[in-house]
Amino acid sequence: MNTKNKLYLLALALVAFSISSCESEDPVPENDGEVITDVTLMFQEIDDTGAAVGSPFEFTASDSEGIEVGGAPTVETVMLSKGKTYQMSIEVYNSIENEDITEEIQEEGDEHQFYFLGSAFTSSPFLSYIYDDEGSELIGLKGIVSVQQSPGFSTAEMRVILRHDLDKNYPGADNPNFTDYAQAGGESDLDITFPVVVE
Amino acid sequence: MTKNQYQFKVWDHSSITPITSQSIGSSHFFYHLSYKCNFVSFVLVYNIIADYFCIVNLKTGILVSVILLLGHTLYGQDCKLSIRGKIIHLENNEPIEAAYIWVAEAEEGAVSDQNGNFTIKNLCSGSYILTIQYLGHKTITDTFNLETNTYSKTYRMEEESLGLQSVEVHGHRDAVQTTTAVSALYGENLLESRGENLGESLKRISGVSTFSTGNSIAKPVIHGMHSNRIMIMNNGIRLEGQQWGAEHAPEIDPFLADEITVVKGAETVRYGPEAMGGVILVNPAPLPTTKFSKTSLNLIGASNGGMGNLNLVHVGGLEKVKGLGYRIQGSAKRSGNIKSPGYFQDNTGLSELNLSSSLGYSSSKLGVEAYYSLFHSELGILNDSHTGNLSDLENIIENGRPFSDGEFTYEILNPKQRVTHHLAKLKSHYHISESWKINFQYGFQLNHRQEFDKRRGDLNEKASLDLELFTNTLDLYVNHTHKNELSGTWGVNLIQQANSNIPGTGVTPLIPNYDMINVGMYAMEKYSKGPLEVEAGIRYDFRNVNTARYIDNELRTADLDYQNFSAFLGGLYHISPDLTFNSNFGSAWRPPNVNELFSEGLHHGAAAVEIGDPNLESEKSLKWINELQYDGNKTHLEFTAYLNPIQDYIYLNPTGETYVSLRGTFNVYEYLQANALFYGFDFAGSYEFTDKFSGYVKGSIVQAKNTGDDSYFPFIPSNRMDWGVSYSFAKDSDPKTNKITLSNVLVAKQNREPELDIAAAPPAYALFNLAYTKQINIGENKMNLGLQVQNVFNTEYKDYMNRFRYFTYDMGRNVLLKINYEF
Repeated sequence: MNTKNKLYLLALALVAFSISSCESEDPVPENDGEVITDVTLMFQEIDDTGAAVGSPFEFTASDSEGIEVGGAPTVETVMLSKGKTYQMSIEVYNSIENEDITEEIQEEGDEHQFYFLGSAFTSSPFLSYIYDDEGSELIGLKGIVSVQQSPGFSTAEMRVILRHDLDKNYPGADNPNFTDYAQAGGESDLDITFPVVVE
Repeated sequence: MTKNQYQFKVWDHSSITPITSQSIGSSHFFYHLSYKCNFVSFVLVYNIIADYFCIVNLKTGILVSVILLLGHTLYGQDCKLSIRGKIIHLENNEPIEAAYIWVAEAEEGAVSDQNGNFTIKNLCSGSYILTIQYLGHKTITDTFNLETNTYSKTYRMEEESLGLQSVEVHGHRDAVQTTTAVSALYGENLLESRGENLGESLKRISGVSTFSTGNSIAKPVIHGMHSNRIMIMNNGIRLEGQQWGAEHAPEIDPFLADEITVVKGAETVRYGPEAMGGVILVNPAPLPTTKFSKTSLNLIGASNGGMGNLNLVHVGGLEKVKGLGYRIQGSAKRSGNIKSPGYFQDNTGLSELNLSSSLGYSSSKLGVEAYYSLFHSELGILNDSHTGNLSDLENIIENGRPFSDGEFTYEILNPKQRVTHHLAKLKSHYHISESWKINFQYGFQLNHRQEFDKRRGDLNEKASLDLELFTNTLDLYVNHTHKNELSGTWGVNLIQQANSNIPGTGVTPLIPNYDMINVGMYAMEKYSKGPLEVEAGIRYDFRNVNTARYIDNELRTADLDYQNFSAFLGGLYHISPDLTFNSNFGSAWRPPNVNELFSEGLHHGAAAVEIGDPNLESEKSLKWINELQYDGNKTHLEFTAYLNPIQDYIYLNPTGETYVSLRGTFNVYEYLQANALFYGFDFAGSYEFTDKFSGYVKGSIVQAKNTGDDSYFPFIPSNRMDWGVSYSFAKDSDPKTNKITLSNVLVAKQNREPELDIAAAPPAYALFNLAYTKQINIGENKMNLGLQVQNVFNTEYKDYMNRFRYFTYDMGRNVLLKINYEF
């Protein structure tokens, strides 16, 4: 066998090796770290001095599938009493990874902010909201919700939007009921509409 | 270059024609290639078609005398008979340009044109001896009897042994020998396009447009087809990246090429499945085989985006080892945020680093080439295009542009892409006999694609899509060429692929891990006689795809088989030396891609949930393409018309449904199949009004219909044309390029749009561009200077084929300075 033929054999062997040694990896289950599966609104009635009155109660929106195609989220109806003031805190949770995302939002407070829209605040307002976060950033993880003494309606909608990567200095962005929130840039991490009933 | 160099201008076509087709040579920016036996077969392709010829170090003086005879005028006789013929290389059937044909008895001669054709007119009936000479080839002597006007013959010239040394030829070669419509970008036009990505560069060819995602991601579109329906060849290896994604640009650096060729026909038989709409061949110059050294430097700067681009190529041939040559090339590119009229597009920077190198050896019987290329790119995706849900998307569409004005920075943040593509190949051929050649080519590719989304906290450091794709390709084929009119190629082709999601993304993978194997067998034969060439081919392919992925902790697998026969028939006829007609009828197919089969997830840019269908069948298409080319003294014209019915065309269709989640609402899209009909035409023409003034015009129209329900498909290019005028300052005393060109691009509104698009097609627009090019000689070296102003009036516009038309206006004015220096 001359050298040329040897070279060819070598090349063929090389190719055979490369082909046989190249297979895809076995797939690994991937837990969706980014997904939010549960959003809980916790209400604690407070008096004029800010002291807690009675025991807290909560309403949850959840979607165990996260963002994947599947069942629609279940959203509980928020029930509040006329003329009362509540401290509302929001908890955000990923049940797939068993991860509390609330802390992350707090840590990245400079790029997250909740907005509260819907008829409860806008067209037939009977709720009002003031940011009451720990620290200087307006985030909306904690806030004060006041219900009117004698509202014209008893049912409405509260749309809770969590914006990410927005320009917090945009004019109007400090208003929790800022309808033009999109103008401040960024994107929505959450956009849930809770039915609200006042008694 | 040595001193006894002769430069001879054979003929000069209109130098303004931005693109010429199949072989119309207008390469003022020529390259050098050393010419030698068997060198030709080294690259698939070879055809010397040049405006300029250089002959160096001639031991024999044949060619000089041959060329001197060029201007020989034919004088009139009463006899009106003529002979026609074609001259091609015996070895590979490629036409020989500028061979000299002499009929001694009649004292009549001719020189073969770029297609190898010649005509000798005004002959009386009788017996003649015909002599054909071409440098480095054995002289052909043929005796014939001329009685009627139908005499026509193909001559195959055999190369002489290695005795003849180092002849340098400058010029253009065809990248592929086919009877279908082919257009190439090379020479001056390629030089003008330097600094642009592959898709943008190819817009210079009529019938080619782009499907883009912002300004840094542009996928070439041939006759309305892109992504997996066309193929890109990097120096003979089919480029295998994640080309299914609309926002996945081809992983190739145009700087590695000295010629980019677009084959507009269905070429499944020659190139394998997926080459339905066409093939793009990105080819470096052939390697030198004798002592040689040349370095070329490109420096490019652009005002918009503060883009800087550097490219360096060195080509060398060794003196000590005859037949050994090498090339090494590297380029780097950096740009920052792009400016639209009035604002900066946030996070649209780009960083690219590319390398390529080859080493080749060529002797009379054996040719070997090793090649490696690296493409590395990191690019930012427009910040505002990353929408959280449908309401976000609707808000920005209504706004028509990003909410903030942005500012200039080179910084690239999330969302971004990081792509690395390695390609290595080994190619060899061996001449078993005078007429039989065996070829072997092996290619290895590794594509690593990472896409980073805007996420929370530490997740920002993790890619949300992290794919590694290995591809092995193996080609074994034989070529046969004989002294008779028949030649052909028979071969087998093997493609093996392994795709893996790299774990740890924290996102359910968009596409599964898979193993794919494709085996193809093909045969093509070509018959040439005189001005006629007829070509036919057939191919069988079998493909198996094995997939696996976890969704919600549940393993889902699939094992799918696809097979298909494809065939083509094509012909080319030289009606006269100036006028050529070609027609090609080919079938093609494409198995469904994994994303079409298995997509299941959220697409942030489109606020869409895309759902694949594992039961999709292969697409089958027929493409009939016809081209008429006229190449006169002052006029160059080409018309291409095609008809392309496709059975089971796969497309992403909005279901009209929405999906509600805690994050908001999303549109749901699903992959469907329908019968489609694509048809249209391209045209290109140029005319020299005077020595100084010339003009060109080109354009294309694509029609694409869903024949099932008589609707339109999304993202089909709208009607467009491009025209311009040039004024040349070059004088007879100083013939170097020195000209200014004003051009105008007109793009119509896409009125043939589907009903369910998230935003209506943008209005028509017109752009004006200015370009000045000048060539300077510095000693023996050459420098090309270019100053270009794109979008002179800073026009605000959106292009239908840019997916970011939902979010922003296109790029504003851009001033570019391009320097090319060869030494």
